[in-house]
Amino acid sequence: MDTAPAPRPTFATLKAGLDVRAGGRIVAARGEALSTGFEPLDAVLGGGFPRGTIASLEGPPSSGRTALLASVLAVATQHGLAAVIDDGSLYPPDLERAGVRLDRVLVMNVGADAGAKDIARCADIVLRSRAFAAVAMPGVPLRATVWSRLGGLAQKAGAVLFALGVHASTELAYFASTRVRCAIDAVMWSGESGVLCELAGYDVSAHVLKARRSAPGATAHLPVIDERISHAALRSRACLSPLRSAPRRISTTPA
Amino acid sequence: MPAFRLSVARREEFPRRRHDGQAAILADKRDRGHVIECDAAAYELGARPGQTVLQARAASGGGVHVFVHDAARSRTIWHDMLDALDAVSPLVDEGGEGTAYLDMRGIAGETQDWIERALRALQGFDLPVRAAAGPNKFLARASTYASDGDIGALPIEVLELDPRAVERLHLLGVTRLEELAKLPHGPFVRRFGKEAAVWHDRARGIDSTPLRPRAHELQIGAAAYGEGSAEQEEQVYFALRVLAERVCGDLARAGKAASLVQMTFECENGEVLAADSGFAQATGDPRTMLDVMRAKLEGLTFTAPIIGLRLQAMQLEECGAPATLFGQNQADPQALAVVLARLQAATSRSAQRARVRPSAQLETRFAYDDFTVPKAVSTHQHDTCKHRHPPQLRLLAVREVEVRMRGNQPLSVDTRKVLDCAGPWRIDDGWFEQPMLRDEYDVLLDDGMLCRIYRQGERWYLRGAYD
Repeated sequence: MDTAPAPRPTFATLKAGLDVRAGGRIVAARGEALSTGFEPLDAVLGGGFPRGTIASLEGPPSSGRTALLASVLAVATQHGLAAVIDDGSLYPPDLERAGVRLDRVLVMNVGADAGAKDIARCADIVLRSRAFAAVAMPGVPLRATVWSRLGGLAQKAGAVLFALGVHASTELAYFASTRVRCAIDAVMWSGESGVLCELAGYDVSAHVLKARRSAPGATAHLPVIDERISHAALRSRACLSPLRSAPRRISTTPA
Repeated sequence: MPAFRLSVARREEFPRRRHDGQAAILADKRDRGHVIECDAAAYELGARPGQTVLQARAASGGGVHVFVHDAARSRTIWHDMLDALDAVSPLVDEGGEGTAYLDMRGIAGETQDWIERALRALQGFDLPVRAAAGPNKFLARASTYASDGDIGALPIEVLELDPRAVERLHLLGVTRLEELAKLPHGPFVRRFGKEAAVWHDRARGIDSTPLRPRAHELQIGAAAYGEGSAEQEEQVYFALRVLAERVCGDLARAGKAASLVQMTFECENGEVLAADSGFAQATGDPRTMLDVMRAKLEGLTFTAPIIGLRLQAMQLEECGAPATLFGQNQADPQALAVVLARLQAATSRSAQRARVRPSAQLETRFAYDDFTVPKAVSTHQHDTCKHRHPPQLRLLAVREVEVRMRGNQPLSVDTRKVLDCAGPWRIDDGWFEQPMLRDEYDVLLDDGMLCRIYRQGERWYLRGAYD
């Protein structure tokens, strides 16, 4: 059977094949990425955090950064190792509940009074081993040369270096390939205030300030819900107390 | 090696008359250059490194022969010599061009055997070599000058001092190592500066400089020998393709790309032909490599069938992520042990692993153990992972806060109004030793902070924030 020869691809068709855009995002030309564990954020980031880069998770305390980091660590430790440079704020029981395999997380406790140089040195050593898929460190102010070096090491290791801070310094903002600013939109409780009330979770909005493989400016809404608590509440609502009601939301941002 | 670069230049220029005894200097240019090295005879005549060639000629009365330095050639020969020394000891420290230190600890034989082995390894280069043994690097090097073993009688120039320091020491009447060693350490260091402490130590035979073994250059290549002969170009191209794939596989594993590939053909009649294929951009792709090599071989005719073929990747560049043994799902215990040791050295703390344990108190619900390498796991487990996203508590440095209450519920924390709260949960622990009674609350403040506070006694504390 004789078949007609396939048309020769032009540069335009090749480029179109590489840059298939959907909703302003490049979805075809994506490389390997570390999933965030949140599907909406993965979609916004084009698959997750690109491996071999620096990612900055920004937001004040009670913004949902740690919940996002815990989710990423859970993904990373399913098939590899992760490292956390801890300034004393780590609470492992909640990490374990998020699915993080604690036996695969190297915790380097540098203390709350550790200098930026010590933290950078630890990150340097950990990244240089090329054994960790994700490394988390406090977003301390460092010189551009240090961030450049850490970025290079992360690139060689194929790891994602997460820097957690209230704001990204100018240097970090430049060298980070991904910047996500987190904020809690709403807090969910399992009942009215009081002894029978429990914190069920919160809604986090993750605003992408900078991304390598997707258009910045998108926002993903991430539900951080403790399934164990909410299930217990549902089960107990009918038999324990009439005060218990469905989880209600209190917005923490002005309307 | 005495005046290594000069010896190399002399050997290259006069391969048969290299030991003619004529005073010689090595310069970067023939006429208007500067002297880099001079041999003992030229030194006696007054030539010194750093002089211009004209000055050296004038100082020596015009009786010196000038050689021109070829840095690339000299470097190549030096690397070949270091490679030869690898056969004597696995730890070779390159102490600059012309000087090498070998760590012979644990190697069978006596001192004289070691020296003979080293000299034998370098015999083929036909260059003047001195070898000696010593307990440290300085004594080993100094011993090469002292044929009778009397190191104290050596001039202080052996210490490779600044010429001005040598001049000052000469003015003080110190010309030999034994004279320098007799000087009191403290006053000498105070007078000549902190670097003088090293000179004085070395004059007394103390040298703490560690031996730094040179890094071995990565060699990536593939060869096919003894598999018949090739008379047709298809056979050669087939062999080239196989070898290119092997080379590219090794390149990928090392995370490298090659800018140049050297092909070496050995023919049946003993003829050896080498051809270099350079790439505009470093590559690790076998198809690209093969295409360029084919273009290079286009129109080439061999006089006899080819019986051997070798490909050598050269000018390697970093490229991509190397496929290491501990790539994400299989941790290399040795590499991790290095990380743990480095972290310990850098922070004076050991790397840890968290462990959760049952406890009533928030602070004691976890503990840390020393980190050890976990067992490798299958990547299939990733697919079965179910994502859970419970609220995450972030511990803060415990600080006292002021809380106003209405009934059993907090009304405000410091100046911030409480919008919602859960609790209290009473923790009554440690009744058998130090009783601890604590009421914990989760509160949402009007500035958006969601935190854990507790009351212990009459005081209130902030423990952490949900993040």
